[in-house]
Order: sequence, then C-alpha cells, then structure tokens
Amino acid sequence: MSMPPYWLSFRVVEQGRTKFRLWLPLFLLWLLLLPLLLIALALTLIADLLSILACKKPGFTRFLLGVLNTINAVKGTEVHVQDKSSKNQGVAFTLR
Amino acid sequence: MGDDRNRILDLLASGRISTEEATRLLDALDAKAGKNDGDEEAAATAKTGWPKFFASGDKDDTKTDADAKSDKAGSGAAPKYMYVKVVSQKGDNVNVKIPLGLLKAGIKLTALIPKPATEQINKAMAEKGMDFDINNLRPQDLEELVEAMREMEIEVDSNNGDTVRVYAA
Repeated sequence: MSMPPYWLSFRVVEQGRTKFRLWLPLFLLWLLLLPLLLIALALTLIADLLSILACKKPGFTRFLLGVLNTINAVKGTEVHVQDKSSKNQGVAFTLR
Repeated sequence: MGDDRNRILDLLASGRISTEEATRLLDALDAKAGKNDGDEEAAATAKTGWPKFFASGDKDDTKTDADAKSDKAGSGAAPKYMYVKVVSQKGDNVNVKIPLGLLKAGIKLTALIPKPATEQINKAMAEKGMDFDINNLRPQDLEELVEAMREMEIEVDSNNGDTVRVYAA
C-alpha cells in the first residue's frame, strides 16, 4: 500500500509575486487520525465477523481499505490555474 | 529517493531550512526522477517554483506532436499521471495533473458497490443512452486499460487559438 500525501500546498501568485502561501503538514493530520482509523478498523472487523455469522458477504473492512487506498492515490495531484487576462493571477494546488 | 525526501523533511522539521527551500529541494528531487513528468518541465519547476507551463504562459509551452511521440516511444513503463492542459490565447491557462492510481483505486471501490446500487447506476446510464455495465469494470483489466492510455491523446484546437490537451504519461 502506498503512503498518503504528506503535504498540501496552496499558493496564490499575483503580478509574478507570491501573495498567499499555505502549507498544510498532512502527516500530522494522519497521526491525529490514526487512533480513529484503528477504532474504525476494529469496528469493521467486528461487522465483517457478524456478516460471516449471518451468512452474508463481508465487505466493510475491504471498503475501509479501499477508501484509504483512494486517499493514498491522490498523492501527486497538481492543479495550476493562471488568469492572465484580467488580474494576472495564478493559483497552484499541490498534494505531495 | 525516499531517503532524500525524508532527509529534506527532517531538515525542515528541525528548522534548518525554510519551507521555501524545502519546496525547491523537493521539486529538484522530482526533476531528478522526472522521467514520468517530462524532464524539462520538472527541471523548470525546480528552478522557478512554477511548472514551465506557467513560466511564460505561452502556447509554445505545450509539447509538440513530435515531442509527445518521442516521450511515449522512450518510456516503456505504464503511464502514472493524466494531464489536462488548457492554453488560451488570452493567457488564462489551466494545468491539471491527476495520478492514474486514483483511477485504479476508484475502480477497485466500484467492486464494493452493492448490487442494487449497481443496477440503479446501469439503469440511469441506459436512460442517458450509455449502454454500459458497471459490473464489467474489473480491477484485473486495469493494467491493460492504463497501458492503453499511453497511446491516448486528445487535442482540441479552437478557432480563437485556445487549445486543450489531454494525455497520459
């Protein structure tokens, strides 16, 4: 499994100069969310166990892992928008 | 490569380098591994902090057909990113880079959609004229699909000089 994005950066450039810059250390957020993830994992495992006992197909843990995988997959996303015609402004959004 | 990245993050965490310097170093690392994104573009990013696409904002920044073909011929590996580039004559440009891993993860998630929901999705798509069964989206076929995307390129040139390019690399 790949790692989730560590940083989110958001940058606004106006007239060639950086007007606003935001760096969000996502790795800190993941650390904070880790206990919640472990609780969710335990709950999904219990739910899957109950599903098996009820002769139903278990899928809760797979779903949770799928969601985590999707979050990991957004790493590397970059969006750059440049508006030269009116304000000569640029916006960059990056997930690393 | 991972060690270098961690070292830069450690330096940033210990306050020995600024976030600006860390960005440049991380960009330089990306430029080094820039085979996927195009060496030239990544190097320009490392130098200026902005992708080459925005360095001048001119139409010339988009790769020519010959460049794109040589890139594709040179890289035998499966593409990792999908690019959407919009270059307008007025200078209003959009550059989007989406990891193809996101597509893979999304398709894997579709396998977990409950059957009644997939039936509803198929029905709704059929009503819109799309004869497509969402159950046919199998993760096994993904590699083939992603590999085939290497050959895909959509290029739209409008009358007023605006261009849209969608490709995977």
